[in-house]
Amino acid sequence: MNRALRRISIAALVMFVLLLANVNYLQAFEAGSLTDKPGNSRAFAAQFQYQRGEITTADGKVIAESKNVGGVYKYQRVYPLGQEYAPATGYDALYSASGVESAENSYLTGNSSNLAVRNVIDMITNKPRKGATVQLTLDSNAQNAAWSALQSSGKAGAVVALNPQTGAILAVASYPSYDPNQLAVLDGNQLNANDKKLLTDPNQPLLNRATDATFPPGSTFKIVTSSAAFTQGNDNPSTVVDAPTSLQLPQTSTRLINNNGEQCGTMGNGKATIITAFTESCNTAFANIGMQLGSATLKSMAEKYGMNDPNLKIPSSVVQSNFPLEPAQSFTAMSAIGQKDDTVTPLQEAMFSATIANNGTLMKPYLVQQVQAADLSIVDSASPAALSQPVSPAVASEIKTMMLSVVSSPDGTAAAFKNAIPGVQIAGKTGTAQNGVNNSGLNDAVFTCFAANGNRSMAVGVIIQGGGYGAAAAAPIAVAVLKAYLENG
Amino acid sequence: MSSVATSEDATLGGMPDSPMAMPRGRRRTEAVMLVFAVALVAFAYANVGFGLKGSLPSGMAEYMIAFVVLLAGAHLAVRRLAPWADPLLLPLAATLDGLGIVMTYRLQEVGRDGNPGSMSVPLSSSATLVQIVYTAIGLGCFVAVLALVREPRVLQRYTYIFGLVGIVLLALPALLPAGISEVQGAKIQIRLGGFTIQPEEFAKLALGVSFASYLVTKRDVLSLAGRRVLGIDLPRARDLGPVIIVWAVSLLLLVFESDIGTSALFMGLFVAMLYIATQRTSWLLIGFVLFVAGAYSASKLFAHVGERFQIWLHPFAGQNPFNNAFQLVQGIYGMASGGILGKGLGGGQPYLTPLVQSDFVVTAFGEELGMTGLMAILLLYGLIVQRGLATSLSVKDPFSKILAGGLAFMLALQIFVIVGGVTRLIPLTGITTPFLSQGGSSLVASWILIALLMRLSDTARKPPPQPIQDEGMTQVVNLS
Repeated sequence: MNRALRRISIAALVMFVLLLANVNYLQAFEAGSLTDKPGNSRAFAAQFQYQRGEITTADGKVIAESKNVGGVYKYQRVYPLGQEYAPATGYDALYSASGVESAENSYLTGNSSNLAVRNVIDMITNKPRKGATVQLTLDSNAQNAAWSALQSSGKAGAVVALNPQTGAILAVASYPSYDPNQLAVLDGNQLNANDKKLLTDPNQPLLNRATDATFPPGSTFKIVTSSAAFTQGNDNPSTVVDAPTSLQLPQTSTRLINNNGEQCGTMGNGKATIITAFTESCNTAFANIGMQLGSATLKSMAEKYGMNDPNLKIPSSVVQSNFPLEPAQSFTAMSAIGQKDDTVTPLQEAMFSATIANNGTLMKPYLVQQVQAADLSIVDSASPAALSQPVSPAVASEIKTMMLSVVSSPDGTAAAFKNAIPGVQIAGKTGTAQNGVNNSGLNDAVFTCFAANGNRSMAVGVIIQGGGYGAAAAAPIAVAVLKAYLENG
Repeated sequence: MSSVATSEDATLGGMPDSPMAMPRGRRRTEAVMLVFAVALVAFAYANVGFGLKGSLPSGMAEYMIAFVVLLAGAHLAVRRLAPWADPLLLPLAATLDGLGIVMTYRLQEVGRDGNPGSMSVPLSSSATLVQIVYTAIGLGCFVAVLALVREPRVLQRYTYIFGLVGIVLLALPALLPAGISEVQGAKIQIRLGGFTIQPEEFAKLALGVSFASYLVTKRDVLSLAGRRVLGIDLPRARDLGPVIIVWAVSLLLLVFESDIGTSALFMGLFVAMLYIATQRTSWLLIGFVLFVAGAYSASKLFAHVGERFQIWLHPFAGQNPFNNAFQLVQGIYGMASGGILGKGLGGGQPYLTPLVQSDFVVTAFGEELGMTGLMAILLLYGLIVQRGLATSLSVKDPFSKILAGGLAFMLALQIFVIVGGVTRLIPLTGITTPFLSQGGSSLVASWILIALLMRLSDTARKPPPQPIQDEGMTQVVNLS
C-alpha cells in the first residue's frame, strides 16, 4: 500500500506546486499587465492611494497638488488657480487626464522607471510613497497678465509667450477656460455631470486654444514671406516693390486691396519699400512677393518656422499649423499674406517672433523645466534644443528692423504701443485675419511680438477670435504680458 | 541461570538497563506551536485594526482570550485522549482557523464605522463572534471525535451506516424545496432559521470512512479476483457493486444539485482510496478519464457548467469582465493589486469581489497579504496534507492507511480545486476553503477531519505495548 501512498503523495505535491507556481505567475509576473485589463477598479483606485506630485510654475507657485480627503480614493487633486493654468496643467480625472497631468503622469504618480530605485528605498524605509514634483517653465507674472487680459477682453482667444533663447514657454493661456477642479471630483456621478456640462458648453471651455486650435495668421505671416524673400532673392527691407492700391489676382476676378483700400507708403507711384509695406501691412506688396517666390518656396520657409509639423510635443501634442502647397498663383498670393488655407496656433505665432528674436534660430518650445523626486533630487530637467534655423542672423536682423518699425514708426500698424513699456523697444507684427466661409466671420485679431529688457526677453503670440484689428484687440494683451514679464526682471 | 552466557544473551543482557529509545508524545512541541499560532493570529487581528483605523480593534482582547481558551481546551483534550498524535496538526489548523476569524473581522468592518467600501452581501456586525462560536463548535466536535473514536477500527463497524448517512446528507438539500436549499443556482444547503448547514461537508467525511472500511475488507478480492479486459484488471461486479453504487448515487445527486466542485472531490477521494487499497494504477486512469469525460459532457449538457468553462477560458473577453466573469476577474485583480507583499490587512479592496467571504476568501488573502502571505497559507495546507500522508505511510492497519491517505488527498484536492479555481488555473467550481471561508459547516467538518487525522496519527505513533519482562530470560521467582 505504501507504494500507492507515495504516488498519491507525489500527486498532492504536484497540485501544491502548481498552485504555488500559479500564484507566483499571477501576483508577481502577470500583475502588471492585469492592471490595464477592463473593469480593474483596484488598479484605478491605486493611483489615488498616495500623494501625486505637485505641478509648480518656474517661480515656485503651486498650480496642482493632491490633498488627503480620506476614503477609497484617498487623494484628491486640487488646482488653486484652476482656469488660469488649465491649458498647462490639464486635468487629472477619475477616468482620464490631459495636459501635463497626462504627459508627465509617470513622474507625477512616481511610476517612472527613473524613480524605481527610490520607490524601493521608500518601501524598505516605510516612507509613504509620493510622486515627483513637475516644475513648469511658466512665469506666474506673465501667466497672470495673459489670463487677466484675456478674461477682461471677454473674447475667445489665447496667448503663448516664449523665451526666445531657450524655447521655454513663459505663459500659455486660453479663454474661455474651465476649472479642472470640477473634473478632479472623486464622485463618479458628479464628475459625469460636470463633464457633460463642459462638453456641451457652446463656448467650448475645454478647448485649449493656445496649442490645440488653429486660426488664420493674417498679416503676421508676412514675417515668413519676408524671410523667404530676403533669403531667396537679393531683397532687403529697402528694396522697392510693386504695391498697388488694388491688385487683380491672376485668372480670377478677385481684386486684392490694402486695408480700407489705402495707398501703400508715400511714393505715390504704386511702389513702396518692403519695410514700408511691412510697417503699414500692405497686402498687395506681399501678395506680389509671394507670387514671385512661388508656393513651394513659401511652404519650405513656413515649415522651417515649424508649420506642417504634426509631431511637436511640449510635452503634450500640439496641433499642426498648416501651410499647404497652393495649386494656383491667386491662392499663393492669398497664402503669402496669411489667408486662404494658412492656419496657425497661437504657439506658432509666438514661434515666428521668437525665431527673429533669437537671431534666426527657432528653439523647440517646452513646458516642463524639471522634475524633482520626493527626496528633492532632480530626476529630469529640460535641455533647450534648436528646432531649426529658418533664417540667417543677417536676415533675422533685417526682419527685426521691420518689426520694430511696425511699433516705432508713426505709420506703423501698432504705433500706439511705441512707449507702452518705458525703456523697452517692442518689435511686432499685427494681423487681422478674415475668417469663416466667404469671409463671413468676424476678423480674428492676431499679434506677434518680442522685446527684451536687460537679460530678459520674451516673444508673444496672441490670437483673439472675432477681435477685429490685431492692433486693437490682440496687441494690448501681448504688450500686457511683455510688461508683466520684462518689468519684473 | 547458569553463568555460561551465549552471545545472544550478551546482546539481550543490556536491555533492561538502557531502555529502548521511547517515541515521545511531543505534546510540548504542540503547545509551543500553538502559542506561535495564537501570536500570529493576534498579530494579524491587531494588524486589521491598525490597517483600518490606526488603532487596536475594539473587542480584540475578548475574542483572542476566547480563541486561546478554546485552543487550550483542545490541547488538554489531546494530551488526555491522543497523547501520541502528530504535534503539528492542531497548531496548523488553529492558525488557519484564526486567520479565517481575522479575515471575517476584516470583511465585517467593510463599510462600517467609516471604513471604505461596501460588500455585495454585507456581513452582519456579529459575524466575527459567530465565526468564533463556530470555532468553538468545531473544536467541540474535534474533542468529541477524539473521545468517541478511541481506536480507528471502531469506525469500521459502521461501514454501511456511514455510507447511508453520507448519501442521506447529500440527498437532503436536493429533496428539500429550493426555498431553503438553493444558493447561487446550486442546491447545497439547508436553511434553518438564521443558520445554514451544508450537509455535503459532513457527507464527505461519512462517505470517506465508509469507502475506507468497505475497501479494506474487499481489497484482496478487488485486486486479485476478476477479469483482465483490454489490459486492465477489472474486479468482480459483486465486489465493486456497492462502491460503484455509492459513488454513482453521490455523483448523480451532485449533478442534480449542480455542484461540480464537490463531485470532483468525491471522485478524487474515491479513486485515491481505491488506488491505495488495490495498488492498481489502472484505477487512477479510469477515474481520471471518467471524470474528464463526465465534466466535459456536463459542460455540454448543463448551461450552468458550460458557462463556467467559457468564463475560465475567456474571462477578459468582451463584456465578460462586467457580467458572468465579474467575480473571477475581480478576484484576480485583487490578487494582482496585492502583488508580492500585499496591501496589508485592511489596506486592500477585497470587498470589490462579490461574496469574497466564502469561495473567494483566498483572493482576499492574496490581495492583503500578497503572494508571500498566500504562499505561506498554501504551505500551511500543504503541511497538513503532508502530516496526513505521513501518518498514512507509518500507520500499520490497512483501514487507517486507506482512511488517512484518502482524507489527506481529499484535503489536497479541495485546496487545489478552490484555489486553482479562483486563480484561474482550472475552471472555477464553488467549494469552500477549509478553515478560511466564513461559515460554520465547512469549519466544523474541517475540525472533524483534523480530529480523524490526529486519531490516526496517534495510532500510528503510539509505541507498541512494552513487554513487562524480558521474555527471553528465565524468570527466578522467590516464593519465600
